[in-house]
Amino acid sequence: MYLRILKKDLKRKKTMNAILLIFVILAATFIASSANNLITVSSALDNFYEKAEGPDYWFVSTNADDVERFQTFARENGYDCTVSELIQIDPKNVLVAGKKFEYTNTLCLSTLSGIRIFDKNNKEITHVNDGEVWVSNVIFDSAENNFYEGAKVRISQNGVEKEFTVRGYTKDALFGSTMVGMTRFLVSDNDAKLFNNEENAVANSVEIHTKDPDYFDKFNALELNTIMSFDRPMFKMIYLMDIIIAAILLVVSVCLILISMVILRFIIQFTVTEEFREIGVMKAIGIPNFAIRGLYTAKYFAIALVGTLIGCALSFPFSYIMIQSVSRKIVISGEDNYLVNIGAAILAGATVVFFSYFCTRRIGKFSPIDAIRSGETGERFRKKSFLRLGKSHLPAVPFMALNDIFSGIKSYVSMILIFILGTLLVIIPVNTINTLRSDGLITIFNMAKSDHIISQELLFNPNEDNKKKVEQKLSEVRGMFAENGIDVDVFQEIMFRTNIKKGDKRTNSLSFQGLGGVTTDMYTYLEGTPPQNPHEVALTYLTAGRIDAKIGDDVEIKVGEDTKTYTVTAINQSMNNMGEGVRFYQDAELDYNYAAGSFGIQVNYKDSPDSLALAERKALLEELYPDANIYTPGEYIGYMIGNVAEQLDSVKALILAIVLGINGLVAVLMVKSFITKEKSEIALLKAIGFKNTPLTLWQTMRIGMVLLVSVLVGAVSSLPLSVLIITPIFRMMGAYSIEYEIRVEEVYLLYPLIVLAVTAAAAFVSAQGLRKISSAQISNNE
Amino acid sequence: MTNILEVQDLCKTYVVNKRQNNVLKNVNFSIDEGEMVAVMGPSGSGKSTLLYSVSGMDGITAGEVKFCGKSVSNMSQKELAELRLDEMGFIFQQMYMLKNLSVLDNILLPACQSDKIKESRKETTERGHALMRKLGIIDIADNDINEVSGGQLQRACICRSMINKPKMIFADEPTGALNRSSSDEVMEELAKLNAGGTTIMLVTHDVKVAAKCTRVLYIVDGNIQGEYRLEKYDRTKLRDRERALNGWLMEMGW
Repeated sequence: MYLRILKKDLKRKKTMNAILLIFVILAATFIASSANNLITVSSALDNFYEKAEGPDYWFVSTNADDVERFQTFARENGYDCTVSELIQIDPKNVLVAGKKFEYTNTLCLSTLSGIRIFDKNNKEITHVNDGEVWVSNVIFDSAENNFYEGAKVRISQNGVEKEFTVRGYTKDALFGSTMVGMTRFLVSDNDAKLFNNEENAVANSVEIHTKDPDYFDKFNALELNTIMSFDRPMFKMIYLMDIIIAAILLVVSVCLILISMVILRFIIQFTVTEEFREIGVMKAIGIPNFAIRGLYTAKYFAIALVGTLIGCALSFPFSYIMIQSVSRKIVISGEDNYLVNIGAAILAGATVVFFSYFCTRRIGKFSPIDAIRSGETGERFRKKSFLRLGKSHLPAVPFMALNDIFSGIKSYVSMILIFILGTLLVIIPVNTINTLRSDGLITIFNMAKSDHIISQELLFNPNEDNKKKVEQKLSEVRGMFAENGIDVDVFQEIMFRTNIKKGDKRTNSLSFQGLGGVTTDMYTYLEGTPPQNPHEVALTYLTAGRIDAKIGDDVEIKVGEDTKTYTVTAINQSMNNMGEGVRFYQDAELDYNYAAGSFGIQVNYKDSPDSLALAERKALLEELYPDANIYTPGEYIGYMIGNVAEQLDSVKALILAIVLGINGLVAVLMVKSFITKEKSEIALLKAIGFKNTPLTLWQTMRIGMVLLVSVLVGAVSSLPLSVLIITPIFRMMGAYSIEYEIRVEEVYLLYPLIVLAVTAAAAFVSAQGLRKISSAQISNNE
Repeated sequence: MTNILEVQDLCKTYVVNKRQNNVLKNVNFSIDEGEMVAVMGPSGSGKSTLLYSVSGMDGITAGEVKFCGKSVSNMSQKELAELRLDEMGFIFQQMYMLKNLSVLDNILLPACQSDKIKESRKETTERGHALMRKLGIIDIADNDINEVSGGQLQRACICRSMINKPKMIFADEPTGALNRSSSDEVMEELAKLNAGGTTIMLVTHDVKVAAKCTRVLYIVDGNIQGEYRLEKYDRTKLRDRERALNGWLMEMGW
């Protein structure tokens, strides 16, 4: 008999059962794929580093003597170390698919040695053919360059010229992030030899495997000249931008789980309430409680089982889509977590059964008559709504919609929560991306504010007068502007790799000196006063913390072979090298033979031009420097940190699609539920002369009003929540004080309107279902 | 007297599980303005179907229904909705109302949706109050619908059916869910409305209710078997009317 009743019920209430099934499927899909993501992404970096056999410590040095010294030191201490040669190539000497290679940092040619490197299919690259080149993912995916499999890359430097074919992109644990400030093209041993001549500078990448807790102190005591130096925890920080993307996906996943739960709770409560009358009839004719509960639990179990199976199957491709942006950079082995999908989907199914059991338990307490009356006694001590049609100026339809919301606000809470969450999920990444692309962010990259930046970064040769080279270049640019009647400040940031010591504490850090029309007071400091004399410096929190230095302390800084004592006058912030940094006074005497590189040439117009004039000047600069790119500060940040913002853009698009999909489904679910519940009311309204259009609008407006309020709440609360969420992430990268970029038209207009329009459209389309209800169905309950 | 409703060869067929069920078979009758006509017959004879078919709430299979000379059967759903909103009033056996609106708001709703009567919201409310006062339910105007008795609610439904000043009211067993005293009150109000000039067609099982009408149509198996005119009896002498009607119904096989 159970089976007969079940079969009949599934057939008769197919709309609600179908909706419940859809949401069980969605919940199982979201929960299973999100749980998979949660576990996969949180452990992915460690797994990737393990799989790549990444070193415990890593440094790059151009000084062959220092490397040799280190090798001796490593042998003496029993450290396992691998040295790989990196042949430096000026990006200007590279053509990609016939076009200039756009890259500002250091580019090297390297062979397979040291860590394991993987291809796009997560297979280890064990051999590189002559004439082929593998490109790091961050470079391969950069919008500025047209890399693709089979693209031709021509490198011509110091008399050696060779055309390579791009074989694919690599997942490279050491050079796989833009934050490293260096990238490599992987070539064959023969091709590397071709370019390894006396004229091309060669750096050494040194990978050290040791568990010696004193390693770092011993290493610092060597006072080596390095271009960069990382330890294992710092490696994780390098990938922080990627972790941000993963974290956003995790937040989305958690939200999806919450949304699924809220929806499930709503729909099960709704369907059980719908069935109260039948339950009451069964009780009235003497069917015992446990038998009634068994019947309904069996029904939900059947739906949960089917939903769980389908949801679990769908979760596999969905997990893949969600982690795709992260998995392009690092090796993520999702197949290991198949059991997680299955387990989480079963959990979702079990939750459905539990909810249904819980809901039927409630009706066990009622008498048959209570159940027939849907659990209501008819007594009410509070008015349903304070609104009155007679006193309102609203037309009948919007009044009914508004009145319904105020009459049963509880039924709308889950919808409001879901819509607010959805709005936040869309807006917070937008704020993050806009901040990452804003002009103001340049100050936390150790640069002074400027109007434009010419991408003419300098590569320094130890045998030249580098300082003179910079000053000449800046003077040339200044002269060019003067010829065009524009008064400008022109300056450039020069980087050094320095060793710093206070007492017996040592560390090394990237250091900066501004040359040209820039003074130390043009940078942002968190504490203290800018360096005013050549023997004064500012340190970042991270660098100062490593050597326990405070404002007023004296520190010894070694640039090249020259060690001098400086007084710390200020603490500043920097996102270069994850927060490490030293700011020298502009006239401090430094050995430019050891300059590690530079940023672009910054131009600051003295006449404070408006945006139109700025655009004109940018066009002029593009004319004057056809070989260089001209950037606004925001664009330059994007150029420096690579495609993180682009990746975030694709994540943003994915989130937007998910949120719109969920909102649409929630709107459809709610409208369908309301139509089912209010079938006789709709029939009544039709009977007394309401046409389909006003009734459709009534259903749509209800969702629309709730949506409007939720989107407004979401949009308004997005600002403090964005700050709350973004600040700690930037702090981890060394930025303590951020100017947030909130684009009002985007955050408060564009995206809320998209969410509103799509969800309202879904509600409107779904509300068309009421057309099927005829006025004659006034006494028909499903 | 002019016909307000004219029904010619009306057929209504339902198809259930591929089997045709002819509920109404070539029904012919007409109702004049100002009449109060009861439709009686055994259960399943097609009384409610007839009411819903002639009022345009349900489609018909064949034949023609004319309301105020216009063919209802050829009207679009939109036109039918307008007709029901502006020209017809409906009272159902169950006191269907929107649960989220107060009693008064339920009454005002059709007026607020209609463009027929040009008036301000305040004037509409005053008309609603006047109707409620007339039917003796002004005290429950601001109550929620679950706070009032069935009789009060049915009188509120009558007010709602009246709010747009319809030409005709259709009532499907308007006293079916009420006790005797409430039933008498409701019928008293309907009779008063009819006396005021409103045409009424109602379906009932109750001889006492039908006895208040001017004419009774008796339907069996989808066919009108006969009609009985009660105009000749004094409206105040209900007992006489009931006795006469009972006698006729016995003849018809009731």
